Amino acid sequence: MLTVKDLQKVYNGTVVVNIPELTIQAGEAIGLVGNNGAGKTTLFRLILDLIRPTKGEVYAKDVNVAKSEDWKAYTGSHLDEGFLIDYLTAEEYFKFIGDLHGLSDGDITERLLPFMDLFNDEILNQRKYIRDFSKGNQKKIGIAAAALSNPELLILDEPFANLDPSSQIRLKNLLRHLRDQKRMTMLISSHDLSHVIEVCERILILEKGQLVQDMQTNENTLRELETYFTV
Amino acid sequence: MLLTLLTHQWKADVRSSVFQKGLALNIIMGLLILYFGGIFLFLGFHIDDILLKVFPSQDPVAVFNGGMLYYFLMDLFFRFMLQEMPVLAVQPYLHLPVGKNKLVHFVLVKSVFSFLNVLPLLFMVPFMVSAVVPAYGVGIALVWLLALVALTLCNNFVLLYFKRQLAAKPLYTLAFGVVVSALMLLDYFDLLSLNVASRAAFGQLLLQPWLVAVPLLLVAVAYTFNFRFLKEHTYPEELQVRKATKVSGSNIAFLSRFGEIGKLIELELKLIWRNKRPKSTLFTAAFILFYGMLFYKEPYMDGYAMLIFVGLMMTGMAMFSYGQFVPGWQSTHFDALLTQRISIYQFLKAKYWMFLAVTLFAYLVTLPYGLLGYKILIINTVALLYNIGVNVFIIFYFSAYNTSRLDLSRGSAFNWQGVGASKFVMMLPLIIIPLLIYMPFGLMDVPYVGLATIGGLGLLGLIFQKQLLQWSARWFRKHKYKLATGFRQSE
Repeated sequence: MLTVKDLQKVYNGTVVVNIPELTIQAGEAIGLVGNNGAGKTTLFRLILDLIRPTKGEVYAKDVNVAKSEDWKAYTGSHLDEGFLIDYLTAEEYFKFIGDLHGLSDGDITERLLPFMDLFNDEILNQRKYIRDFSKGNQKKIGIAAAALSNPELLILDEPFANLDPSSQIRLKNLLRHLRDQKRMTMLISSHDLSHVIEVCERILILEKGQLVQDMQTNENTLRELETYFTV
Repeated sequence: MLLTLLTHQWKADVRSSVFQKGLALNIIMGLLILYFGGIFLFLGFHIDDILLKVFPSQDPVAVFNGGMLYYFLMDLFFRFMLQEMPVLAVQPYLHLPVGKNKLVHFVLVKSVFSFLNVLPLLFMVPFMVSAVVPAYGVGIALVWLLALVALTLCNNFVLLYFKRQLAAKPLYTLAFGVVVSALMLLDYFDLLSLNVASRAAFGQLLLQPWLVAVPLLLVAVAYTFNFRFLKEHTYPEELQVRKATKVSGSNIAFLSRFGEIGKLIELELKLIWRNKRPKSTLFTAAFILFYGMLFYKEPYMDGYAMLIFVGLMMTGMAMFSYGQFVPGWQSTHFDALLTQRISIYQFLKAKYWMFLAVTLFAYLVTLPYGLLGYKILIINTVALLYNIGVNVFIIFYFSAYNTSRLDLSRGSAFNWQGVGASKFVMMLPLIIIPLLIYMPFGLMDVPYVGLATIGGLGLLGLIFQKQLLQWSARWFRKHKYKLATGFRQSE
């Protein structure tokens, strides 16, 4: 699904991301963990062709993402509020994204159904613009919009941040549902170790732009991670 | 404490992005300030001579005094248009152990240092020195100045109060506006002379200096009103000028017929309508439509170059002033557009059709000017063709350099946020190139061949529209990383 080759991003002489090789199979759910400044968001931006790599390439389905826009058809993503069009209402935004993927109004309503628990009656029919929602609710809108097209590849940066505990648990179940039912390939970064190992079957640890560990999730993973991050 | 708050404010101003824009812009801004400051200073020193020439038999101080009431009413009007509410900056202090009174005083005192209050001093002080002091002596002149400053500040606080009420009690503000307009109307129909009233009031002041207590009292009253109101409403959500209104989502059915391009146009129309800055940019551009009234008369009607300029401006101003920020309007969600199924070609094509529509609209609106002469009709048609055939692509070319993030929530008047030197550079070729093309034909005295050339170029641009758009898209794609990086940096 996704191949990273010899990828490097350098800002003013500082290497922010340096990944010689990484392959992600279709249907895999990957959790990306690492302290602040480890390069998680930069890596996502490189994968989404939002910044130009200093060196190396990212291939989605064996096509270089910087050379062709084919990946946009099967990729859903939400990194930050810059992904939202903040002067639209939530409904208008969903409709806009839906239209781009050729979804009818009925399709959109149906695909938002699994999100109703997560939305908690605070997103739809609020009669206000996205810029007037709270951070947490903006995040929910972004995640729902990213998953709206049933993308083969779903990329989320810190989806659990800013959410209340109930929402976090609901989101976790939702992501597992998407993974199991729709066989979505997922790339999720998080600071919440326990959530991320419940959603993801493979964990990557990033440190100072380097991939330092690549492990399959098992019953010991949480302990290993906690040991790793205990300084 | 007040001093600490003011130094914080000073730092906020000095460290704001406006001053860190680069040398070229600072020089241009400096020149503008010098220019306007110079005009005011010049006026201040020479207004007594000018008044003496215009009203030879009258005392210049009396004439000046007669104009003061008009001035203060005009001042109120400009303040209503331009003055910003100095409010939100207290938010970071509200949870700290700082007295509410202090914060409110701070907000009010801060508003005194606005340029609307400082600028008038530039001509009041010189006038005082050159005209009032010789006639009445230093002491009385200072009292006179104090009264004017007090009235300026009174305007400042009165306006702040009513502008704040605008959200909560619009009827108050309406009543205030009615009173001001009624005064103007009464004066216009000679039922009540503001001139006479103004002369009498300020004349008395010069004779009986203790009357300065009246304007001072007015300031105190206006200040107290503001203070009380703010004190009771120190909660950030209540201080916000914009009232949260219920909005309803809507779709423009007509546009959805045009597929993805229609969708993008709809999105952009919503952007314009729902954000303050693009809306005010377009409203300002609409004023250019009246340019014809200034220029369609002798001696301009004999020549061509001036009329070409006017034609280009009238048909193209909306496109120029909106276009100079493209794609900065989308800066807050540029990442979203890049990761969605929209190609850059579609993005630019939507813009192209919008520019086409708005330019055509401006052309149709200015069509009646053609009654003043068929020449105007021909020139405006040529300008229309050139604007939508050539200038639109020049705008797309320069758009690749607009890497600064745009804050859409503030009005466009005197707003330098997101304005770079490239903006000034790009406006020039839009106007100068067609004039340069025309010049040799004008010199050879074959103006219509020149017009045909400009129009022909525009027509060529229309015919090769698709190729030119594709070329623009390639150019834009080359610069997209730079643009996206720039837009992620909020100032």
